[in-house]
Amino acid sequence: MPSIRIPSALRTFTKGAADIEITATTVRDALSELERLHPGIGARLMTDGTVKPFIRIFVGADDIGELGGLDAKVSERDEISIIPAIAGGSGA
Amino acid sequence: MTLRATIVGAGGLGGPISLGLARTGIELTIIDPDVVELSNLHRQIQFTAVDLGAPKAARLAGSVVAHGGVARGIVADWTLARADEISGDADLIIDASDDPETKFAVADWAVANGRRYVIAAALRYGGNVMAGAPGVACYRCLFEEPAEVPSCADAGVLGPVVGAIGSVAAAIALGLVHGDRTYAGALLAFDDLRKVAEPRVVRYAPRPGCPACARAPISPLAAPPVRVAEGN
Ligand SMILES: [Zn+2]
Repeated sequence: MPSIRIPSALRTFTKGAADIEITATTVRDALSELERLHPGIGARLMTDGTVKPFIRIFVGADDIGELGGLDAKVSERDEISIIPAIAGGSGA
Repeated sequence: MTLRATIVGAGGLGGPISLGLARTGIELTIIDPDVVELSNLHRQIQFTAVDLGAPKAARLAGSVVAHGGVARGIVADWTLARADEISGDADLIIDASDDPETKFAVADWAVANGRRYVIAAALRYGGNVMAGAPGVACYRCLFEEPAEVPSCADAGVLGPVVGAIGSVAAAIALGLVHGDRTYAGALLAFDDLRKVAEPRVVRYAPRPGCPACARAPISPLAAPPVRVAEGN
């Protein structure tokens, strides 16, 4: 089944799990299934049904923006990646 | 022709980036407002106890020179108001700061001025390196705006991780500044270097209506940097 790669910053919601297998045929279904399995994570990814501006979602190496957005189809072996903007690296 | 680069941030990422580029023939301008603190030493390996209290930018520039490179340090914030003055002669600009607003400002300025750029970030066990160049989707196409972004000030980052991410950023910057567009418009996402050393390389399309791209020069080629007097 398709899997979702959870960025390390959000793994507190998944008890540390990096990959979550999911039953879904679209990215939208996959994200709602993720929220059902790990409540709270959805609010970190979406606002009012759209993906937050500082988070990007990819199916394999492809941006979902080019695949139909949240309606992008996912198949058995697809890996969905959630990639948030991060800062860090210089300060204290 | 001498190539020039600005490195914004002289900390955990700025250190390996600057030292990595020290002997490549690129003249570096390193800018950072902070002084070296005890809590920096475990992951800012360019500094030692004798640097405590000294400005990071000046000390790091000194290290680059000691390694045979050419560098100047500026003890200040890199801001859009001073960008033309600080980076006007730069062929490439690298963000190694800890501040989301600065990352967007660096990318926006680079896009508007037709410069190549690299945005680097590290957090906990991983990091991101984004390479930008004229004619491809920009950092603001990727992440629309800074918001709710965790930084290492609140989440921490592992010493070897910033070293690795910084070195990748330096290598990609070196390629970009010499015209290699392999990663132009791509994001390299290192999720957890303790487990997987390879990045996921993702590419993304320009975001329709991106305000940064709207200010880019019409020419798809890099605009030539503004040269102030040679030899200064
Ligand atoms: Zn853009």
